[in-house]
Amino acid sequence: MSDYVKYNSLVEGDVFLEPPPSFDVTAERVDKYIASTNDTTPELSNVNAQGKRMAPPMLAAVYVIEALRTRVGPPGGIHAKQQFKFHRPAMVGETLLTSATVLKVYERKGRNYVDMTTETKNQDGELITSGMITRIWGKES
Amino acid sequence: MMNSEILQHYQGMSVGDQMPELIQAVEQQMIDAYADASGDINPLHIDPEFAKTTFFGRTIAHGLLTLAFVSRVLSQWNWQGWAYGGELNIVFLGPVYPGDTVRVTGKIESIERRDNGVYARCQLICLCADKAVVKGYAICKI
Repeated sequence: MSDYVKYNSLVEGDVFLEPPPSFDVTAERVDKYIASTNDTTPELSNVNAQGKRMAPPMLAAVYVIEALRTRVGPPGGIHAKQQFKFHRPAMVGETLLTSATVLKVYERKGRNYVDMTTETKNQDGELITSGMITRIWGKES
Repeated sequence: MMNSEILQHYQGMSVGDQMPELIQAVEQQMIDAYADASGDINPLHIDPEFAKTTFFGRTIAHGLLTLAFVSRVLSQWNWQGWAYGGELNIVFLGPVYPGDTVRVTGKIESIERRDNGVYARCQLICLCADKAVVKGYAICKI
């Protein structure tokens, strides 16, 4: 039995992250992300007026992809398109919950594509990020 | 009904203005560090033997690593507008291989006054040598 989701099991409209997986925004995770992407944005090294430390907006790439991991298909799949709307930065200490929906499943030039929408809220239900991902499914063995 | 007005200039910014350019070398070490930081350990990015069996023939950087470079440009250009309400819409056109150097360029394509503020739409292109690997746009309040 494969440990990944089969392309033909995806159904348009399927809300597949229920309950939404959680992601703790820790200082360690933020530090690692900033170091790996060489981000020197000054706002990221200080706390804001409320005494909270902000995460880079594109940390969304980490918590959204982690949430989608159960639905990314076999190894070798790649990203084709990405949309994000950053409602506000995630803060260190928050817990983020990402839900996702299969929007469209289609084939183009012999490759299998999936469009998925995502929405990330914090533990209090505040909207942090929304987005849409188009993935080319990896080759299934 | 939402009102909007197209502007050519706003608070020192003009249509056609270039954003600060970013040049970033990408090596396998950086890809491995991103895989570790993001938890995205797809072998296409970190396993040369597996990558040889794919369409690409060798490892490629995570597309989202390239987007992190785009975000660096936008964060340093306009942190407030990018982090609070910024929108990104991009297409991945080609891979970034270890050893490539990514050049992120952007320019203001249009400026629009809406009911809740003034927004710039910025055209974005990431190049490896002269080949576009990411293309799209961002919209930020200015």
